[in-house]
Amino acid sequence: MDILGLYPTWYVPGIGSAWVVGIVATIHVLASHTSIGASWFFAYLETKAYREDRPELLDYIRRYGMFLLVFSYIIGSITGPGIWFSTTVASPRGISGLIHNFVWVWAAEWVYFTIEVIGVYALVYTIGRVDRKTHLKLTWAFALASWATMMIIVGILSFMMWPGNEDWYANGSSLDAFYNLNFFAQLFMRTSLMLATGAILGSIVAARMEDSAVKRTIMRTLAVGGVLGIALGALFFQWYLATLPDNAHTVLEHRLPDYFGPAIVGILAASVAYLVFIFARPHRLRAGFAAVMAVIVLVAGLWPEERARESIRKPYVAGQYIYSNQLIARDVPGKGIHGELAAVDAEGILALHPFVPDELRTVTEANKVRAGRMVGLVMCSNCHSFEEGGLRPLPELLHHSDEPEMIQAFVEGALATGSVDYMPRIPGIDAEREALGTYLATLSGYRPDPGETLAHNARNAQVSE
Amino acid sequence: MDVATILHTLRDPAGIPTHPLVFQVLMVLTWAVHIFFVNLTLGTATVAGWGFFRGGEDHRRLSRGMTNVAKIALSLAIVTGVAPLLFTQVIYDPQWYTANVLSASWVMGFIFLLIVGYLLLYAFYFKNREGARPGVVHYLWSALVLLLVCGFVMHGLSYQQLLPEQWMDWYAPGGVVDPDGNTIHAFDLPRYVFFIGLSGIVAGIYMAAYARFFADREDIPARYLDWVGRLGVRIALYAAAFELLAGVVFVAEQPARTGFGAHPLVWLTGVFLLSLIAMLFAARERAAERAYLLLGWYAAFIALVAAAREALRMAYMAPFDYSVMDYAVNVDWPSTFLFFATLVGVGGPVAGFFIAVAFNVGKHADVYQAGPAMQRLGNLALASLLAWIGVFFALGAWVWLGNL
Repeated sequence: MDILGLYPTWYVPGIGSAWVVGIVATIHVLASHTSIGASWFFAYLETKAYREDRPELLDYIRRYGMFLLVFSYIIGSITGPGIWFSTTVASPRGISGLIHNFVWVWAAEWVYFTIEVIGVYALVYTIGRVDRKTHLKLTWAFALASWATMMIIVGILSFMMWPGNEDWYANGSSLDAFYNLNFFAQLFMRTSLMLATGAILGSIVAARMEDSAVKRTIMRTLAVGGVLGIALGALFFQWYLATLPDNAHTVLEHRLPDYFGPAIVGILAASVAYLVFIFARPHRLRAGFAAVMAVIVLVAGLWPEERARESIRKPYVAGQYIYSNQLIARDVPGKGIHGELAAVDAEGILALHPFVPDELRTVTEANKVRAGRMVGLVMCSNCHSFEEGGLRPLPELLHHSDEPEMIQAFVEGALATGSVDYMPRIPGIDAEREALGTYLATLSGYRPDPGETLAHNARNAQVSE
Repeated sequence: MDVATILHTLRDPAGIPTHPLVFQVLMVLTWAVHIFFVNLTLGTATVAGWGFFRGGEDHRRLSRGMTNVAKIALSLAIVTGVAPLLFTQVIYDPQWYTANVLSASWVMGFIFLLIVGYLLLYAFYFKNREGARPGVVHYLWSALVLLLVCGFVMHGLSYQQLLPEQWMDWYAPGGVVDPDGNTIHAFDLPRYVFFIGLSGIVAGIYMAAYARFFADREDIPARYLDWVGRLGVRIALYAAAFELLAGVVFVAEQPARTGFGAHPLVWLTGVFLLSLIAMLFAARERAAERAYLLLGWYAAFIALVAAAREALRMAYMAPFDYSVMDYAVNVDWPSTFLFFATLVGVGGPVAGFFIAVAFNVGKHADVYQAGPAMQRLGNLALASLLAWIGVFFALGAWVWLGNL
């Protein structure tokens, strides 16, 4: 019997490992998009300064650059690999799949990251210390290189959704994976919205400029760029929606928290209002208020957006071939990859998973609850918490059922058949489904047959807390 | 289940797009660059803290200079850490992912601690001005402690990778699965001390190079630069002597089955370290003059350290028949070409332009006026970027439309 290449599980009570990824990713999205958006404002403003002989505009670039050194090049640079770290521990096979499909693409991305880091220091620290024409070239090179980092990562991000056609599965070519159906829509959408984040964060710095004429020029430039970005972003979002798979639409329409849509629309409207305000009243803005606006964008805009983007991929985590629970859902002949669901249907997950204690490999009456917990950890915990009030909490989703047979029937009828298109098809053998049903029932108070030892019950109680 | 079978089964079914030796060599070389900047950060931060604490005009000036170096070096340490991490995840994915999941809370703690540590370093940078209060140095020491903890986490993960026979015991002690990831299960203190101790050598040699680089600047006193250079060589010399001892201890306490003590790379590394010590001794009164030679020799030494580190990993994996050379290859020419074309065609001109501008600005006290050669390099940098972007979109449109 061949074992499956499954890793141990990291279980985070309450928020789940998925939210750990989401928190890190949301912070990174703000930092990274701000940096790239800012780089284009730098290029525009410095060109304006050069052509109109207004070197005082460079003072803003220097200040915003210093701000970015802390915000984007500490927090952004660390949360970027932080996403790698968090997906490594939350979804090792998912990130492994992406890395093995796109390793050279990511290596090219790294070339641009290195250029960016060297460039931002060179840009900030040579203002006023090198001739203006040379510095202008440096700034434009920085802007182009920064945008290139977005171009590359969006190919990978959009593949996480799906390739959009069957070609990649057949030929395994990185070109078909990278330039997938969703790619251009997502790239243009992010390129547009980066101007908005670059403008809003940039207004914090602009609010502290002393020169009245400079402040007016900066504020109006940010406002126009930001509103343009939001308008184009909204337009490209429609294209983005049109390139999504059916399961994504199902989640969008039925499975997201009710406040998501209104929150995102609200934050876009608030952002437009804010940018119109700084255009009309450039001298009225206080840095503190601008900082509050940035936090609002992060919490009310980017967090729901990232949560939604994570959710609409379900049940897959990459390329519509790796499930969120790490099982390979289908064959990919172009890469020599084989689906694993049939093997689990035949042998059960406990027999095939390398990191299962020997005494749990076969379900017995004595170990049923612990075996069920093991099945739950592997099959369910990537997306669901076992506690009340956590991430997609199973006790609540199962309506607090304390009846093992009812839960088992649901697993067999709905999940094992793949009837719910945002859920993975959950393969397995009868004994393991029974064990899973028993364990999940204990989360709502069911206590199994006294045949299980007291010590085993105590351990389960510890797990459920 | 057999550990060797588990390791081979955990490999990604997608395979790798190029021969594994390419990834192994790149992994070793990029790790050498990464550890160089890690050590430079720790070493210059320590000198910055010592200089501030010591007080006096020269020591405080040194402190400010080294603080600036540390904050930039940390940024470079972070970005250059991405490459070896990527390549490790390509050919040693079973080891890396398992070690990480088993200590997952520490993995995420690393991210948080690194952010806080870097912010504290920046706080010290902003507050480290003439007339700064003595208490300001606490920012620096706090940052250093956090960075050392981050280094310990990375060390733990690197070491845990080498012990797959213990993974199941760590994951399920007493047969009960513990998925909380709250424990660092194994560490090797001599190994950690050796890698951290390199910081003294690189910081000292950097100080000598600093003295050499700014020698043409009329606004920086020659007396001060001479003092910095000679001090740097002394620091590097003492650190190198310590590292010789630390290295012997590290090598000696490796399991006998690895044969590490007899490995040619270990002996070659030792020869380079001994010769570095001799060169540093000879350079005590000629710091600036010998600085770039010392820097070059150190670069070669650290490349050997990186290679020896990989040789040690291979020795740990040998009993499990794990060799990167038999990783399944699914050749992908488009992405392979993308990387090397980007590295050479864009990375070279653009990074070269940025570094050349910064280098020349550093050499001038007044405004640097770029000559024709620099102007051409700038134009080449822009042209390479525009060409890359143009090809990127043209190719993308062709593939995308063809798949509709």
